[in-house]
Amino acid sequence: MAVRWSRVAPQLALSPAVAITVVAFFGAILWTIYMSFTRSRRLPDYGIDWSEWSRQYDRLFNDSAWTTALSNLVILAAGSALAIVFGFVLAALVNREKRGEGVFRTIFLYPLAVSLIVTGLVWRWMFNPGLGIENFFHQLGWTDFKFNWIAQADTAMYGIILASIWQSTGFFMALMLSGLKSINTEIWSAARLDGVSIWRLYAEIIIPMMKFTFLTCAILLSLGVVKAYDIVVAMTNGGPGQSTWTPAYYAINAYSIRNNIGFASAAAVIMLLITLVIFLPLVLLTAWQLRRRKRAAVA
Amino acid sequence: MPQVRFENIVKQFGRLTVLENLNLTVEDGEFLVLLGPSGCGKTTLLNLLAGLIEVTAGNIVIGDRDVTDLDPKDRGLAMVFQSYALYPTKSVRGNLKFGLAAQRLDRAEIERRVDWAAKLLQISHLYDRKPAQLSGGQRQRVAIGRALVKNVGVLLFDEPLSNLDAKLRTEMRLEIKKLHNELKQTIVYVTHDQIEAMTMATRIAVMDGGVIQQIGTPDEIYEVPANLFVARFIGAPAMNIFDTVLKVGGNSVQALHAPTSVAIDISDYPFATRPEDGMPANLGLRPEHFVIGDANGARPAAIFDLPLRDTEKTGSDATAFLDAGGQLVAVRADPGKVAGMEVGKPMRVSFPREKLNVFDGRNGRRM
Amino acid sequence: MTAGALAPRVAAAVYPRRRRRIKASSIATLVFLTMCCLFVAVPLYVIIVTSFKEMSQIVEGDIFSLPRTWTIEPWYKAWNTLCTGQYCDGIKTGFFNSIKILLPSIFFSIAISAVTGYALALWNVRWAGTFLFILFMCAFVPFQIIMIPLILLVSATGLYGSFWAVALVHAVLAMPLLTLIFRNFYKDIPQELMNAALMDSGSFWRVFFEIILPMSGNIMVVVLILVITSVWNDYLVGLTFAGFSSQPMTLILANALITSRGEVIYNVDMAAALLTAIPPLVVYFGLGRFFVQGITAGAIKG
Repeated sequence: MAVRWSRVAPQLALSPAVAITVVAFFGAILWTIYMSFTRSRRLPDYGIDWSEWSRQYDRLFNDSAWTTALSNLVILAAGSALAIVFGFVLAALVNREKRGEGVFRTIFLYPLAVSLIVTGLVWRWMFNPGLGIENFFHQLGWTDFKFNWIAQADTAMYGIILASIWQSTGFFMALMLSGLKSINTEIWSAARLDGVSIWRLYAEIIIPMMKFTFLTCAILLSLGVVKAYDIVVAMTNGGPGQSTWTPAYYAINAYSIRNNIGFASAAAVIMLLITLVIFLPLVLLTAWQLRRRKRAAVA
Repeated sequence: MPQVRFENIVKQFGRLTVLENLNLTVEDGEFLVLLGPSGCGKTTLLNLLAGLIEVTAGNIVIGDRDVTDLDPKDRGLAMVFQSYALYPTKSVRGNLKFGLAAQRLDRAEIERRVDWAAKLLQISHLYDRKPAQLSGGQRQRVAIGRALVKNVGVLLFDEPLSNLDAKLRTEMRLEIKKLHNELKQTIVYVTHDQIEAMTMATRIAVMDGGVIQQIGTPDEIYEVPANLFVARFIGAPAMNIFDTVLKVGGNSVQALHAPTSVAIDISDYPFATRPEDGMPANLGLRPEHFVIGDANGARPAAIFDLPLRDTEKTGSDATAFLDAGGQLVAVRADPGKVAGMEVGKPMRVSFPREKLNVFDGRNGRRM
Repeated sequence: MTAGALAPRVAAAVYPRRRRRIKASSIATLVFLTMCCLFVAVPLYVIIVTSFKEMSQIVEGDIFSLPRTWTIEPWYKAWNTLCTGQYCDGIKTGFFNSIKILLPSIFFSIAISAVTGYALALWNVRWAGTFLFILFMCAFVPFQIIMIPLILLVSATGLYGSFWAVALVHAVLAMPLLTLIFRNFYKDIPQELMNAALMDSGSFWRVFFEIILPMSGNIMVVVLILVITSVWNDYLVGLTFAGFSSQPMTLILANALITSRGEVIYNVDMAAALLTAIPPLVVYFGLGRFFVQGITAGAIKG
């Protein structure tokens, strides 16, 4: 009795999780994919007109707002990648200096505890030309200073990038710091004795040794970028015009404002595809690195 | 090859003083081993020499240069680390070359040196492998090679053999000794393993608690230990120590060992400090100097009849443990004879006069 | 007897300080790091300072100046009379709503993830590996792809618009990641301990409640902090599933500041933002150590 029960009990206990996975994830994804081929508007319409199956996608890619959103995704990713670079630099400095590491880490990480809505609001406030940073420098005498990025369509994304870098640098710094700590301390001593210049040491030894950490950061960054919604709402609400739309923003807008399920589903499916395209190669690469590392550790 | 001098070295970590007024000279071409238990300060001393940590006070001189304020790379040293510290992202050749980058040599010279070191250490066939693909012994050699290519006069070793298995360790001991004979560099070698020290060193500096207890050749350290610590640290099985009280009368000095009621005659002992009547003294008797059975003709310092408690055989060696009034005394015995010994039966052992070590019971120093 | 050595010194003689070259690079590093700290701290400084200023001072436009007269009136107004749309009830309703959402979220998230992680880690389930991999993938799925079906499902249960709905959706979304975290933690428990527990108590649930759960203190704190931060700071799930009476604080804040038009009362807005930000910040500064652990635990998956 005990043996059989011990086979059954865990499976029973797992059933809610399995149910959720099947219904709320698998089932939901399949449903959404299906919907993207239909003409559903406010309510689901389960009929598919096979002659026009890509109707929603055609609409999507003919919409300039969507292409803007996609290019914004790339811009945001490239810009936010600076946070990884900054995070690494900060981690390297904190690690070398050793003093005050705890204090620095606490300060750099606190933005993570702040909601993206609040973050966006504060930065929006700071970008305010009359009352924010621009005015601050004007009052100091530097009257040509311009810091009005979010008011103009071609620079608005940079404002969002800045806020996003502010928010996430500390996080990447923490990851990099733990990666740096896993490096054998005698390597640093050996390098000091070898008289290797700092730049060569980092470029040829340290950074390559941290491939795994960099990959992890890249994965997390790209996932965060695909999800970018809150910060856009808080800083610019998509504006000026549609210049700061992101795919996530587009999909939500398609559902809640344009009330078009089919359309929103198509946008969501593209988001999923983007996630897969970014995610799968990175994960495979990381898994491969991990396996190489394990093999090295055994040798 | 340069001489290395430590002058009045003081090292404090915060409020903890680890080294104080330490003076040590390593002659040129010497293989000096810093030997001691964990925490005795030997690694600190090595790191000070390497320049990885700064002295609190004192000077370090290499050759004729005062290097106390110089960076590690400017001191003309090379170091082999305990964990080898090979650069994992570089091949063997890359590792050997990397350290020369700072020296600004032309490419031909670099190649020449790398090839020379690789040949010397028999790792030429491993040029393109990464450290992860090497065995422990191979990594060791690459670490040594990396130090050798620098072509400096002083080599530092920080417990390099501690991560190797026993067989490899024996091999590498011979290799390192051979290297020293060929290249004749000044070597400062840190270890806690007395076998490494005894087999490789030209001189050993035994350290404890941040103080050098004794410096001397391996023979000197072994035969004439300067204090109780050195006596007990060197030698396996360890030296037997008897707590005795001296009885001085006329020309005779006797060490009375209460538990066995034996008086050990140390009248012929070359005392450096005068023995006082009634003072405590520690007598050191090495296990291998005991003579089992009757002492034919010789005039031993003492004869003991002690019951046998236990025996240990290690193939080539055997040790008999006798009960000296509650204290276990180790006596080296012939493995063949050990079989015939009966536990509980008293054995007669005697100890020759010339092999005695007498230490002042109050401070442990050799008398 | 000790050897002729001195006993290790404890009282230290003080040596004249060598000309300690506090390296220039060291100073430069500290200065640079401090400047970066300032950059990071500036937005927080700005919100705090602005929230205590009088409007008359704010319109002068000096964003970094300290308040001439410190006033907590903006705070009072933010709490009680902040306007979103036509309603001016203040952000306090948002605060209590967020709490009402947070508590069930914590319970549901931890309940399902801990049990699932426990089952996958310590019990012999043949398809555990596959399921874990699937969970891993699910953790990265963008919300939008499952949003609409979830809305329909939640509507079907009739809970749509209540704070239960928001809490349940949070639990569902967090399940993959939290399960992985718990599973990795429980995997470290030695098999012998499990064997001993099985011999003593025997059943799945008894072992869980009597042995495993009491051992889970460390990871519970980490998970707790993760959940509190993500639920309190969330906007999108609240936007989608909360009804008018259950809007979380971030939602009310966003509505008040972003979508309302009319005269912008900056100090009140900033006070409202600060009120929204304070609870997770308190958790962060209070339990910072575990927070760092939590973030890196969440990041290093599988």
